[in-house]
Amino acid sequence: MKYDLVVGLETHVELNTKTKIFCNCANKFGSEPNTNCCPICIGLPGTLPKLNRQVVNFAIKAALALNCEVSLVSKMDRKNYVYPDLPKAYQISQFYEPICKNGYIELDSGKKIRINHIHMEEDAAKLVYKSGDTYVDYNRGGVPLLEVVTEPDISSSEEAAEYLEKLQMIMRYIGVSDCRMQEGSIKCDVNVSVKPEGSEKLGTRTEIKNMNSITFMVKAIDYERERHIELIENGGKVEQQTLRYLPETNSTESMRSKEDAQDYRYFRDPDLVDIVLRKDQIEEIRNTLPELPDVRLKKYVNEFGIAEKEAMLLVKYKNVSDYFEKSIKGLKNAKTVSNFIIGQIFRSLETEAEKEEFKILTTPSQMNELVKLIESGKLNMNLAKKALIKMLESGKPVTEFVSESDMQGISPEEMKKLCEEAIKSNENAVKDYLSGKEKALKALLGCVMKQTRGRGNAQEIESMLKGLIR
Amino acid sequence: MISREEVLNIANLSKLYLDESEIEGAQKEMDGMISFADEINKIKADCENLPELGGINNAFHDDEIKKSCPQSKILENVDGGKDGYFYIKKFN
Repeated sequence: MKYDLVVGLETHVELNTKTKIFCNCANKFGSEPNTNCCPICIGLPGTLPKLNRQVVNFAIKAALALNCEVSLVSKMDRKNYVYPDLPKAYQISQFYEPICKNGYIELDSGKKIRINHIHMEEDAAKLVYKSGDTYVDYNRGGVPLLEVVTEPDISSSEEAAEYLEKLQMIMRYIGVSDCRMQEGSIKCDVNVSVKPEGSEKLGTRTEIKNMNSITFMVKAIDYERERHIELIENGGKVEQQTLRYLPETNSTESMRSKEDAQDYRYFRDPDLVDIVLRKDQIEEIRNTLPELPDVRLKKYVNEFGIAEKEAMLLVKYKNVSDYFEKSIKGLKNAKTVSNFIIGQIFRSLETEAEKEEFKILTTPSQMNELVKLIESGKLNMNLAKKALIKMLESGKPVTEFVSESDMQGISPEEMKKLCEEAIKSNENAVKDYLSGKEKALKALLGCVMKQTRGRGNAQEIESMLKGLIR
Repeated sequence: MISREEVLNIANLSKLYLDESEIEGAQKEMDGMISFADEINKIKADCENLPELGGINNAFHDDEIKKSCPQSKILENVDGGKDGYFYIKKFN
Protein backbone atom coordinates (compact mmCIF):
# COMPACT_ATOMS: atom_id res chain seq x y z
CA MET A 1 0.00 0.00 0.00
CA LYS A 2 1.10 3.57 -0.57
CA TYR A 3 1.15 6.04 2.29
CA ASP A 4 0.94 9.81 2.71
CA LEU A 5 3.29 11.45 5.15
CA VAL A 6 1.76 14.06 7.45
CA VAL A 7 4.05 16.43 9.34
CA GLY A 8 3.39 19.38 11.60
CA LEU A 9 6.11 21.53 13.13
CA GLU A 10 6.31 23.41 16.39
CA THR A 11 9.24 25.76 16.13
CA HIS A 12 10.71 27.60 19.08
CA VAL A 13 12.31 30.86 18.08
CA GLU A 14 14.44 32.52 20.72
CA LEU A 15 13.93 36.27 20.66
CA ASN A 16 16.94 38.57 20.74
CA THR A 17 15.57 40.99 23.30
CA LYS A 18 18.03 42.52 25.75
CA THR A 19 16.26 41.07 28.76
CA LYS A 20 14.31 37.97 29.74
CA ILE A 21 10.57 37.68 29.29
CA PHE A 22 9.48 38.30 32.90
CA CYS A 23 12.43 40.05 34.57
CA ASN A 24 15.27 42.45 33.73
CA CYS A 25 18.07 39.86 33.75
CA ALA A 26 20.19 39.83 30.59
CA ASN A 27 19.10 37.52 27.78
CA LYS A 28 22.58 36.44 26.86
CA PHE A 29 24.11 33.25 25.48
CA GLY A 30 27.41 31.89 26.76
CA SER A 31 27.66 33.54 30.22
CA GLU A 32 29.02 31.78 33.29
CA PRO A 33 26.28 29.50 34.69
CA ASN A 34 23.63 31.09 36.91
CA THR A 35 24.94 34.63 36.53
CA ASN A 36 21.97 36.08 34.60
CA CYS A 37 19.51 35.17 37.32
CA CYS A 38 17.32 36.84 39.93
CA PRO A 39 14.60 35.74 42.35
CA ILE A 40 11.98 35.98 39.57
CA CYS A 41 13.67 33.71 37.03
CA ILE A 42 14.73 31.15 39.60
CA GLY A 43 11.13 31.05 40.76
CA LEU A 44 11.49 32.04 44.40
CA PRO A 45 8.18 32.25 46.26
CA GLY A 46 6.67 35.70 46.56
CA THR A 47 8.11 37.06 43.32
CA LEU A 48 5.90 38.40 40.54
CA PRO A 49 6.63 38.23 36.83
CA LYS A 50 6.11 41.25 34.57
CA LEU A 51 5.95 40.77 30.79
CA ASN A 52 8.66 42.32 28.61
CA ARG A 53 7.07 44.95 26.32
CA GLN A 54 9.55 44.17 23.56
CA VAL A 55 8.50 40.51 23.50
CA VAL A 56 4.97 41.64 22.65
CA ASN A 57 6.27 43.97 19.93
CA PHE A 58 8.39 41.19 18.44
CA ALA A 59 5.47 38.78 18.53
CA ILE A 60 3.34 41.28 16.63
CA LYS A 61 6.12 41.76 14.07
CA ALA A 62 6.42 38.01 13.59
CA ALA A 63 2.66 37.68 13.28
CA LEU A 64 2.47 40.29 10.53
CA ALA A 65 5.43 38.82 8.64
CA LEU A 66 3.83 35.36 8.81
CA ASN A 67 0.43 36.56 7.60
CA CYS A 68 -1.23 36.01 10.99
CA GLU A 69 -4.08 37.80 12.72
CA VAL A 70 -2.98 39.59 15.87
CA SER A 71 -5.29 39.01 18.84
CA LEU A 72 -6.40 42.28 20.40
CA VAL A 73 -6.66 40.57 23.77
CA SER A 74 -4.36 37.74 24.77
CA LYS A 75 -3.49 36.11 28.09
CA MET A 76 -0.71 34.13 29.73
CA ASP A 77 -1.29 30.60 31.05
CA ARG A 78 0.56 28.15 33.24
CA LYS A 79 1.70 24.84 31.79
CA ASN A 80 2.38 22.50 34.68
CA TYR A 81 5.07 19.88 34.67
CA VAL A 82 7.67 18.90 37.21
CA TYR A 83 11.26 18.82 36.08
CA PRO A 84 14.42 20.56 37.34
CA ASP A 85 14.56 22.85 34.30
CA LEU A 86 11.46 24.65 35.58
CA PRO A 87 12.01 26.10 39.04
CA LYS A 88 8.34 27.00 39.50
CA ALA A 89 7.16 23.56 38.32
CA TYR A 90 5.20 25.37 35.61
CA GLN A 91 6.13 27.20 32.47
CA ILE A 92 4.44 30.48 31.71
CA SER A 93 3.09 30.16 28.19
CA GLN A 94 -0.06 30.95 26.21
CA PHE A 95 -2.68 28.29 25.62
CA TYR A 96 -6.22 29.65 25.59
CA GLU A 97 -5.63 33.06 23.99
CA PRO A 98 -2.35 33.15 22.05
CA ILE A 99 -1.18 36.44 20.62
CA CYS A 100 -1.32 35.40 16.93
CA LYS A 101 -3.52 33.05 14.96
CA ASN A 102 -4.12 31.76 11.43
CA GLY A 103 -1.10 32.58 9.32
CA TYR A 104 0.91 30.81 6.66
CA ILE A 105 4.27 30.49 4.97
CA GLU A 106 4.24 30.00 1.21
CA LEU A 107 6.67 27.47 -0.23
CA ASP A 108 8.34 27.94 -3.63
CA SER A 109 5.82 25.55 -5.16
CA GLY A 110 3.04 27.96 -4.13
CA LYS A 111 1.78 25.55 -1.44
CA LYS A 112 0.83 27.30 1.76
CA ILE A 113 1.82 25.78 5.09
CA ARG A 114 -0.79 27.09 7.48
CA ILE A 115 0.26 28.41 10.87
CA ASN A 116 -2.31 27.55 13.52
CA HIS A 117 -0.99 30.06 16.03
CA ILE A 118 2.09 31.70 17.53
CA HIS A 119 2.43 32.05 21.27
CA MET A 120 4.88 33.68 23.67
CA GLU A 121 6.51 31.68 26.43
CA GLU A 122 9.56 31.41 28.64
CA ASP A 123 12.39 29.02 27.90
CA ALA A 124 13.36 26.41 30.49
CA ALA A 125 16.78 26.15 32.12
CA LYS A 126 19.65 24.27 30.56
CA LEU A 127 20.41 20.86 32.01
CA VAL A 128 23.85 19.36 31.77
CA TYR A 129 24.21 15.66 32.51
CA LYS A 130 27.54 14.43 33.81
CA SER A 131 28.01 10.79 34.88
CA GLY A 132 24.37 10.47 35.81
CA ASP A 133 24.23 13.65 37.87
CA THR A 134 22.32 16.69 36.70
CA TYR A 135 23.64 20.25 36.66
CA VAL A 136 21.20 23.11 36.17
CA ASP A 137 21.96 26.51 34.67
CA TYR A 138 19.05 28.95 34.99
CA ASN A 139 20.57 31.56 32.67
CA ARG A 140 18.34 30.27 29.89
CA GLY A 141 15.32 30.01 32.19
CA GLY A 142 13.01 32.89 31.30
CA VAL A 143 14.55 33.65 27.92
CA PRO A 144 11.69 34.75 25.64
CA LEU A 145 10.49 32.37 22.95
CA LEU A 146 7.92 32.46 20.22
CA GLU A 147 6.47 29.09 19.40
CA VAL A 148 5.22 28.88 15.84
CA VAL A 149 2.79 25.98 15.41
CA THR A 150 1.78 24.76 11.95
CA GLU A 151 -1.20 22.73 10.85
CA PRO A 152 -0.26 19.21 9.67
CA ASP A 153 0.14 20.53 6.13
CA ILE A 154 3.66 19.34 5.42
CA SER A 155 3.85 16.21 3.30
CA SER A 156 7.57 15.55 2.82
CA SER A 157 10.83 16.05 4.65
CA GLU A 158 11.89 18.45 1.86
CA GLU A 159 8.85 20.62 2.51
CA ALA A 160 9.66 20.60 6.21
CA ALA A 161 13.21 21.78 5.48
CA GLU A 162 11.99 24.51 3.12
CA TYR A 163 9.40 25.71 5.63
CA LEU A 164 12.01 25.90 8.38
CA GLU A 165 14.54 27.71 6.18
CA LYS A 166 11.90 30.24 5.22
CA LEU A 167 10.80 30.77 8.79
CA GLN A 168 14.42 31.25 9.84
CA MET A 169 14.97 33.73 7.02
CA ILE A 170 11.87 35.76 7.83
CA MET A 171 12.69 35.94 11.55
CA ARG A 172 16.17 37.21 10.70
CA TYR A 173 14.84 39.76 8.22
CA ILE A 174 12.46 41.28 10.74
CA GLY A 175 15.28 41.25 13.31
CA VAL A 176 13.53 39.42 16.15
CA SER A 177 15.92 36.47 16.36
CA ASP A 178 19.38 35.40 15.23
CA CYS A 179 17.97 31.92 14.58
CA ARG A 180 21.33 30.26 15.14
CA MET A 181 20.57 26.58 15.14
CA GLN A 182 23.93 25.61 16.60
CA GLU A 183 23.26 27.86 19.62
CA GLY A 184 19.77 26.49 19.94
CA SER A 185 18.10 29.81 19.19
CA ILE A 186 15.75 27.98 16.85
CA LYS A 187 14.55 24.49 17.70
CA CYS A 188 11.89 22.28 16.31
CA ASP A 189 9.50 19.64 17.60
CA VAL A 190 8.34 17.50 14.71
CA ASN A 191 5.02 15.64 14.67
CA VAL A 192 5.02 12.77 12.21
CA SER A 193 2.28 10.38 11.11
CA VAL A 194 1.38 8.37 8.04
CA LYS A 195 -1.99 7.46 6.52
CA PRO A 196 -3.06 5.37 3.55
CA GLU A 197 -2.70 7.42 0.38
CA GLY A 198 -5.62 9.80 -0.07
CA SER A 199 -7.26 8.86 3.24
CA GLU A 200 -8.88 11.67 5.27
CA LYS A 201 -8.20 10.15 8.66
CA LEU A 202 -4.87 11.05 10.29
CA GLY A 203 -2.71 8.26 11.67
CA THR A 204 -1.29 8.14 15.19
CA ARG A 205 1.53 10.62 15.51
CA THR A 206 4.86 10.58 17.21
CA GLU A 207 6.70 13.71 18.23
CA ILE A 208 10.46 14.10 17.81
CA LYS A 209 11.72 16.65 20.28
CA ASN A 210 14.31 19.40 20.05
CA MET A 211 15.65 19.10 16.54
CA ASN A 212 18.36 21.73 16.13
CA SER A 213 19.65 20.91 12.67
CA ILE A 214 17.73 20.90 9.40
CA THR A 215 19.78 17.98 8.08
CA PHE A 216 18.95 15.85 11.13
CA MET A 217 15.32 16.90 11.00
CA VAL A 218 15.05 15.66 7.41
CA LYS A 219 16.68 12.36 8.37
CA ALA A 220 14.50 11.98 11.46
CA ILE A 221 11.30 12.53 9.46
CA ASP A 222 12.36 10.03 6.79
CA TYR A 223 13.32 7.51 9.46
CA GLU A 224 10.02 7.87 11.33
CA ARG A 225 8.03 7.61 8.10
CA GLU A 226 9.67 4.28 7.29
CA ARG A 227 9.30 3.06 10.87
CA HIS A 228 5.56 3.86 10.95
CA ILE A 229 4.95 2.19 7.58
CA GLU A 230 6.87 -0.91 8.58
CA LEU A 231 4.92 -1.18 11.84
CA ILE A 232 1.57 -0.88 10.08
CA GLU A 233 2.52 -3.26 7.27
CA ASN A 234 3.49 -5.86 9.84
CA GLY A 235 0.13 -5.61 11.55
CA GLY A 236 1.43 -3.48 14.41
CA LYS A 237 0.29 -0.13 15.73
CA VAL A 238 2.08 3.18 16.04
CA GLU A 239 2.21 4.25 19.64
CA GLN A 240 1.70 7.91 20.48
CA GLN A 241 4.94 8.95 22.13
CA THR A 242 7.66 11.54 22.42
CA LEU A 243 10.94 10.60 20.78
CA ARG A 244 14.52 11.67 20.71
CA TYR A 245 16.51 11.49 17.46
CA LEU A 246 19.92 9.80 17.66
CA PRO A 247 22.19 11.10 14.87
CA GLU A 248 24.88 8.45 15.48
CA THR A 249 22.58 5.60 14.50
CA ASN A 250 20.04 7.62 12.47
CA SER A 251 17.17 6.31 14.56
CA THR A 252 14.77 7.45 17.25
CA GLU A 253 14.26 6.32 20.83
CA SER A 254 11.37 6.82 23.19
CA MET A 255 11.62 9.59 25.81
CA ARG A 256 8.16 9.19 27.32
CA SER A 257 4.61 8.46 26.28
CA LYS A 258 3.23 11.59 24.69
CA GLU A 259 1.40 14.06 26.87
CA ASP A 260 -1.87 15.57 25.80
CA ALA A 261 -2.91 19.07 26.70
CA GLN A 262 -4.92 17.87 29.70
CA ASP A 263 -1.78 16.38 31.23
CA TYR A 264 -0.34 19.85 31.59
CA ARG A 265 -3.33 21.23 33.54
CA TYR A 266 -3.18 24.53 31.72
CA PHE A 267 -4.80 27.41 33.52
CA ARG A 268 -4.72 31.16 33.38
CA ASP A 269 -1.70 32.63 35.20
CA PRO A 270 -3.19 34.85 37.90
CA ASP A 271 0.12 36.71 38.30
CA LEU A 272 -0.09 38.28 34.86
CA VAL A 273 -2.70 40.67 33.51
CA ASP A 274 -4.25 40.67 30.02
CA ILE A 275 -2.35 41.98 27.05
CA VAL A 276 -4.66 44.42 25.29
CA LEU A 277 -3.55 45.81 21.94
CA ARG A 278 -4.89 48.68 19.85
CA LYS A 279 -5.25 48.44 16.08
CA ASP A 280 -3.18 51.58 15.49
CA GLN A 281 -0.37 50.11 17.58
CA ILE A 282 -0.34 47.05 15.34
CA GLU A 283 -0.38 49.22 12.20
CA GLU A 284 2.54 51.22 13.55
CA ILE A 285 4.56 48.01 13.85
CA ARG A 286 3.44 46.94 10.36
CA ASN A 287 5.04 50.12 9.02
CA THR A 288 8.39 49.15 10.49
CA LEU A 289 8.50 45.80 8.67
CA PRO A 290 11.34 45.58 6.15
CA GLU A 291 10.99 44.18 2.65
CA LEU A 292 10.62 40.43 3.16
CA PRO A 293 12.77 37.79 1.46
CA ASP A 294 10.05 36.55 -0.91
CA VAL A 295 9.45 40.06 -2.23
CA ARG A 296 13.16 40.59 -2.73
CA LEU A 297 13.57 37.25 -4.47
CA LYS A 298 10.84 38.09 -6.99
CA LYS A 299 12.40 41.49 -7.59
CA TYR A 300 15.87 40.04 -8.18
CA VAL A 301 14.60 37.46 -10.65
CA ASN A 302 11.97 39.45 -12.49
CA GLU A 303 13.43 42.95 -12.46
CA PHE A 304 17.17 42.35 -12.35
CA GLY A 305 17.26 39.17 -14.42
CA ILE A 306 19.32 37.26 -11.86
CA ALA A 307 19.04 33.47 -12.11
CA GLU A 308 16.75 32.10 -9.41
CA LYS A 309 19.43 29.92 -7.84
CA GLU A 310 21.72 32.91 -7.41
CA ALA A 311 18.94 35.23 -6.29
CA MET A 312 18.12 32.73 -3.57
CA LEU A 313 21.69 32.83 -2.34
CA LEU A 314 21.54 36.62 -2.09
CA VAL A 315 18.23 36.59 -0.27
CA LYS A 316 19.14 33.78 2.09
CA TYR A 317 21.34 36.01 4.21
CA LYS A 318 19.84 39.33 5.24
CA ASN A 319 23.18 41.13 5.52
CA VAL A 320 24.13 40.01 2.02
CA SER A 321 20.81 41.11 0.60
CA ASP A 322 21.04 44.47 2.38
CA TYR A 323 24.59 44.96 1.04
CA PHE A 324 23.42 44.08 -2.47
CA GLU A 325 20.51 46.54 -2.25
CA LYS A 326 22.81 49.36 -1.17
CA SER A 327 25.44 48.54 -3.80
CA ILE A 328 23.16 48.57 -6.83
CA LYS A 329 21.85 52.14 -6.48
CA GLY A 330 22.02 53.85 -9.87
CA LEU A 331 23.48 50.85 -11.67
CA LYS A 332 22.21 49.59 -15.04
CA ASN A 333 23.06 45.99 -14.32
CA ALA A 334 22.58 44.72 -10.79
CA LYS A 335 23.67 41.30 -11.99
CA THR A 336 27.33 42.39 -11.99
CA VAL A 337 27.14 43.02 -8.24
CA SER A 338 25.40 39.70 -7.73
CA ASN A 339 28.19 37.94 -9.68
CA PHE A 340 30.85 39.65 -7.61
CA ILE A 341 29.17 38.69 -4.34
CA ILE A 342 28.52 35.07 -5.23
CA GLY A 343 31.56 34.49 -7.45
CA GLN A 344 34.21 36.34 -5.53
CA ILE A 345 33.19 37.46 -2.07
CA PHE A 346 31.52 34.19 -1.04
CA ARG A 347 34.74 32.35 -1.86
CA SER A 348 36.40 33.90 1.18
CA LEU A 349 33.39 33.32 3.44
CA GLU A 350 33.34 29.62 4.07
CA THR A 351 30.87 28.97 6.83
CA GLU A 352 27.17 29.74 6.96
CA ALA A 353 27.85 31.95 9.97
CA GLU A 354 30.42 33.99 8.03
CA LYS A 355 28.00 34.49 5.17
CA GLU A 356 25.27 35.39 7.63
CA GLU A 357 27.50 37.97 9.25
CA PHE A 358 28.92 39.19 5.91
CA LYS A 359 31.71 41.22 7.43
CA ILE A 360 33.71 42.49 4.46
CA LEU A 361 36.01 45.48 4.12
CA THR A 362 34.61 46.81 0.83
CA THR A 363 31.67 49.13 1.46
CA PRO A 364 28.55 49.13 -0.73
CA SER A 365 29.50 52.54 -2.13
CA GLN A 366 32.97 51.26 -3.08
CA MET A 367 31.32 48.31 -4.82
CA ASN A 368 28.98 50.73 -6.56
CA GLU A 369 31.91 52.83 -7.76
CA LEU A 370 33.68 49.75 -9.15
CA VAL A 371 30.65 48.57 -11.11
CA LYS A 372 29.97 52.08 -12.42
CA LEU A 373 33.47 52.11 -13.94
CA ILE A 374 32.69 48.84 -15.70
CA GLU A 375 29.34 50.08 -16.92
CA SER A 376 30.82 53.26 -18.35
CA GLY A 377 33.29 51.14 -20.32
CA LYS A 378 36.27 52.59 -18.50
CA LEU A 379 37.30 49.37 -16.83
CA ASN A 380 37.12 45.89 -18.24
CA MET A 381 35.96 42.89 -16.28
CA ASN A 382 39.41 41.41 -15.94
CA LEU A 383 40.90 44.40 -14.27
CA ALA A 384 37.78 44.92 -12.20
CA LYS A 385 38.01 41.42 -10.78
CA LYS A 386 41.67 41.88 -9.95
CA ALA A 387 40.96 45.22 -8.34
CA LEU A 388 38.11 43.72 -6.31
CA ILE A 389 40.45 41.14 -4.78
CA LYS A 390 42.71 43.93 -3.58
CA MET A 391 39.76 46.05 -2.46
CA LEU A 392 38.44 43.19 -0.33
CA GLU A 393 41.84 42.70 1.27
CA SER A 394 42.43 46.34 2.08
CA GLY A 395 39.09 48.10 2.30
CA LYS A 396 40.45 50.75 -0.09
CA PRO A 397 38.50 52.12 -3.09
CA VAL A 398 38.98 50.90 -6.66
CA THR A 399 40.90 54.06 -7.64
CA GLU A 400 43.79 52.86 -5.48
CA PHE A 401 44.35 49.85 -7.68
CA VAL A 402 43.71 50.95 -11.25
CA SER A 403 45.63 53.70 -12.99
CA GLU A 404 44.31 56.29 -15.41
CA SER A 405 45.77 54.34 -18.32
CA ASP A 406 44.08 51.13 -17.13
CA MET A 407 40.80 52.94 -17.29
CA GLN A 408 41.30 54.18 -20.81
CA GLY A 409 40.65 50.78 -22.28
CA ILE A 410 42.29 49.77 -25.48
CA SER A 411 41.58 50.95 -29.02
CA PRO A 412 40.72 48.46 -31.81
CA GLU A 413 43.79 49.61 -33.73
CA GLU A 414 46.11 48.94 -30.84
CA MET A 415 44.49 45.58 -30.25
CA LYS A 416 44.91 44.59 -33.88
CA LYS A 417 48.56 45.61 -33.74
CA LEU A 418 49.21 43.49 -30.66
CA CYS A 419 47.48 40.50 -32.21
CA GLU A 420 49.54 40.73 -35.35
CA GLU A 421 52.72 40.90 -33.30
CA ALA A 422 51.70 37.84 -31.32
CA ILE A 423 50.99 35.85 -34.49
CA LYS A 424 54.36 36.84 -35.92
CA SER A 425 56.38 35.80 -32.90
CA ASN A 426 54.53 32.52 -32.25
CA GLU A 427 54.68 30.71 -35.52
CA ASN A 428 54.53 27.29 -33.97
CA ALA A 429 51.35 28.06 -32.09
CA VAL A 430 49.76 29.33 -35.29
CA LYS A 431 50.71 26.14 -37.08
CA ASP A 432 49.31 24.03 -34.30
CA TYR A 433 46.07 25.96 -34.35
CA LEU A 434 45.75 25.62 -38.11
CA SER A 435 46.31 21.88 -37.81
CA GLY A 436 43.29 21.69 -35.53
CA LYS A 437 44.67 22.21 -32.03
CA GLU A 438 42.17 24.67 -30.60
CA LYS A 439 44.21 25.01 -27.44
CA ALA A 440 47.09 26.63 -29.27
CA LEU A 441 45.00 29.76 -29.62
CA LYS A 442 45.10 30.19 -25.84
CA ALA A 443 48.86 30.67 -25.95
CA LEU A 444 48.41 33.51 -28.44
CA LEU A 445 45.63 34.99 -26.35
CA GLY A 446 47.79 34.90 -23.24
CA CYS A 447 50.52 36.68 -25.09
CA VAL A 448 48.22 39.51 -26.19
CA MET A 449 46.59 39.81 -22.76
CA LYS A 450 49.99 40.21 -21.21
CA GLN A 451 50.80 43.05 -23.57
CA THR A 452 47.50 44.83 -22.78
CA ARG A 453 48.21 44.44 -19.05
CA GLY A 454 44.80 42.93 -18.64
CA ARG A 455 42.94 45.81 -20.23
CA GLY A 456 41.81 43.81 -23.24
CA ASN A 457 38.63 41.81 -23.52
CA ALA A 458 39.56 38.15 -23.91
CA GLN A 459 36.60 37.29 -26.14
CA GLU A 460 37.23 40.20 -28.49
CA ILE A 461 40.91 39.37 -28.74
CA GLU A 462 40.18 35.72 -29.40
CA SER A 463 37.84 36.46 -32.28
CA MET A 464 40.29 39.00 -33.69
CA LEU A 465 43.10 36.40 -33.56
CA LYS A 466 40.93 33.83 -35.33
CA GLY A 467 40.08 36.36 -38.02
CA LEU A 468 43.72 37.30 -38.57
CA ILE A 469 45.03 33.74 -38.75
CA ARG A 470 42.54 32.79 -41.43
CA MET B 1 -12.36 19.78 64.31
CA ILE B 2 -9.02 18.65 62.92
CA SER B 3 -7.66 15.84 65.02
CA ARG B 4 -4.34 15.77 66.81
CA GLU B 5 -3.26 12.82 64.61
CA GLU B 6 -4.10 14.72 61.44
CA VAL B 7 -1.98 17.67 62.54
CA LEU B 8 0.94 15.41 63.36
CA ASN B 9 0.60 13.60 60.07
CA ILE B 10 0.61 16.86 58.08
CA ALA B 11 3.57 18.14 60.11
CA ASN B 12 5.41 14.94 59.33
CA LEU B 13 4.67 15.19 55.61
CA SER B 14 5.82 18.83 55.59
CA LYS B 15 8.95 17.94 57.54
CA LEU B 16 7.96 20.35 60.35
CA TYR B 17 8.78 19.68 63.96
CA LEU B 18 5.98 20.64 66.35
CA ASP B 19 6.62 21.06 70.02
CA GLU B 20 4.03 19.39 72.30
CA SER B 21 2.85 22.86 73.36
CA GLU B 22 2.29 23.91 69.70
CA ILE B 23 0.05 21.03 68.68
CA GLU B 24 -3.19 22.33 70.12
CA GLY B 25 -2.62 25.80 68.63
CA ALA B 26 -1.92 24.29 65.22
CA GLN B 27 -5.13 22.28 65.45
CA LYS B 28 -7.15 25.47 66.00
CA GLU B 29 -5.36 27.39 63.26
CA MET B 30 -5.83 24.66 60.67
CA ASP B 31 -9.45 24.39 61.59
CA GLY B 32 -9.82 28.10 60.96
CA MET B 33 -8.25 27.78 57.53
CA ILE B 34 -10.43 24.87 56.50
CA SER B 35 -13.64 26.53 57.62
CA PHE B 36 -12.63 29.65 55.66
CA ALA B 37 -12.67 27.49 52.55
CA ASP B 38 -16.27 26.61 53.43
CA GLU B 39 -17.04 30.33 53.60
CA ILE B 40 -15.67 30.81 50.09
CA ASN B 41 -17.70 27.89 48.83
CA LYS B 42 -20.86 29.74 49.83
CA ILE B 43 -20.22 32.48 47.30
CA LYS B 44 -22.19 32.08 44.12
CA ALA B 45 -20.06 33.44 41.30
CA ASP B 46 -19.66 33.04 37.58
CA CYS B 47 -16.10 31.75 37.57
CA GLU B 48 -15.97 31.30 33.80
CA ASN B 49 -16.21 34.99 33.08
CA LEU B 50 -14.29 36.63 35.87
CA PRO B 51 -13.59 40.28 35.19
CA GLU B 52 -9.96 41.28 34.78
CA LEU B 53 -8.20 42.23 38.03
CA GLY B 54 -9.83 45.61 38.68
CA GLY B 55 -9.66 46.31 34.94
CA ILE B 56 -5.87 46.40 34.98
CA ASN B 57 -4.05 45.23 31.87
CA ASN B 58 -0.77 45.74 30.05
CA ALA B 59 1.67 45.70 32.95
CA PHE B 60 5.01 45.56 31.16
CA HIS B 61 8.67 45.88 31.99
CA ASP B 62 10.94 47.86 29.69
CA ASP B 63 13.60 45.92 27.82
CA GLU B 64 16.52 47.30 29.82
CA ILE B 65 19.05 45.15 31.60
CA LYS B 66 19.23 45.53 35.38
CA LYS B 67 21.81 43.89 37.53
CA SER B 68 21.25 40.20 38.21
CA CYS B 69 22.16 38.57 41.52
CA PRO B 70 25.69 37.30 42.07
CA GLN B 71 26.08 33.57 41.42
CA SER B 72 26.94 32.95 45.07
CA LYS B 73 23.64 34.53 46.14
CA ILE B 74 21.66 32.48 43.60
CA LEU B 75 23.24 29.25 44.85
CA GLU B 76 23.06 30.21 48.53
CA ASN B 77 20.00 28.11 49.28
CA VAL B 78 21.47 24.97 47.70
CA ASP B 79 24.66 24.96 49.74
CA GLY B 80 26.59 26.75 47.03
CA GLY B 81 25.78 24.28 44.24
CA LYS B 82 28.61 22.67 42.31
CA ASP B 83 30.90 24.39 39.78
CA GLY B 84 28.43 27.27 39.53
CA TYR B 85 25.47 24.97 38.86
CA PHE B 86 22.52 23.73 40.81
CA TYR B 87 23.37 20.12 41.33
CA ILE B 88 21.16 17.07 41.50
CA LYS B 89 22.85 13.87 42.47
CA LYS B 90 21.99 10.71 40.60
CA PHE B 91 19.45 8.62 42.43
CA ASN B 92 18.43 5.04 41.78
